[in-house]
Amino acid sequence: MKHDPTFWLLARAGGLTAYVMLTMSVLAGLLVKSRPFKALKPAAVTDLHRILAMLGLGALAGHAAALVLDTTVKVSIPGLFIPGLVSYRPVWTSIGILAAEMMVLVYASFSMRKRIGPKNWRRLHWATYAIFGAATVHGIAAGTDTARPWAFSLYVFAVGSVATAAAWRFLVPPVPARARRKITPPRELTPRQGEQAA
Amino acid sequence: MSTYRIEIDRSLCSGFGSCVTEAPDVFAQDETGTATLLVAETDDDAVLDAAGSCPMGAIAVYGSETGAQAA
Repeated sequence: MKHDPTFWLLARAGGLTAYVMLTMSVLAGLLVKSRPFKALKPAAVTDLHRILAMLGLGALAGHAAALVLDTTVKVSIPGLFIPGLVSYRPVWTSIGILAAEMMVLVYASFSMRKRIGPKNWRRLHWATYAIFGAATVHGIAAGTDTARPWAFSLYVFAVGSVATAAAWRFLVPPVPARARRKITPPRELTPRQGEQAA
Repeated sequence: MSTYRIEIDRSLCSGFGSCVTEAPDVFAQDETGTATLLVAETDDDAVLDAAGSCPMGAIAVYGSETGAQAA
């Protein structure tokens, strides 16, 4: 019987979608803190950050379910949760499992932030850097599309954008709006369009 | 009477500290990082920026006289 590729395609698409959502959620999270775009309302970016993480977890569930249903790579249900039970590239699949479990933990911690305290909640969020790194390594090393130019470009773009946003978050302190208004030159001092060329 | 009356929903506050950056004369953070008010009312327009900067939408600013929400 010919092998039905449906679940294999869904497994790959689910994994890549989860990675894209995770990347975008991390970027949104970094923007909440560093606020480089003043037009974006931080509270709206926070909502987006959480929605993207939730969509990422949804895609992750699809990735996991499709891997169990597909026969290309043998994955049992316990193998989805316990690292080391999958015989296909065991180190890289285990890293993916750990990243997914940590992501669930960080996502769930939002609702527990009163119980654990905002400081611990923020500390736990540092795990996101490890999650993103582990997800990247898992995708590159366990994924079967890595050699394709579009997939490789995706990884390069994701790592590059997160590294840039993280560098901005650590190196550029947020400027209060009042100080920014003082820096902006008054309107009459700004050269009118075309004046500069003359 | 001051221009603005400020309220913080401390159950929402997650300790980002952006309000302290925007209006250090009005907001401070306690030992848990949660925002506290140094004054209940102020004329400082920076409280509007502080409310807008809060990632959790935990700060409300009202006009002292009108009672209408300003931010």
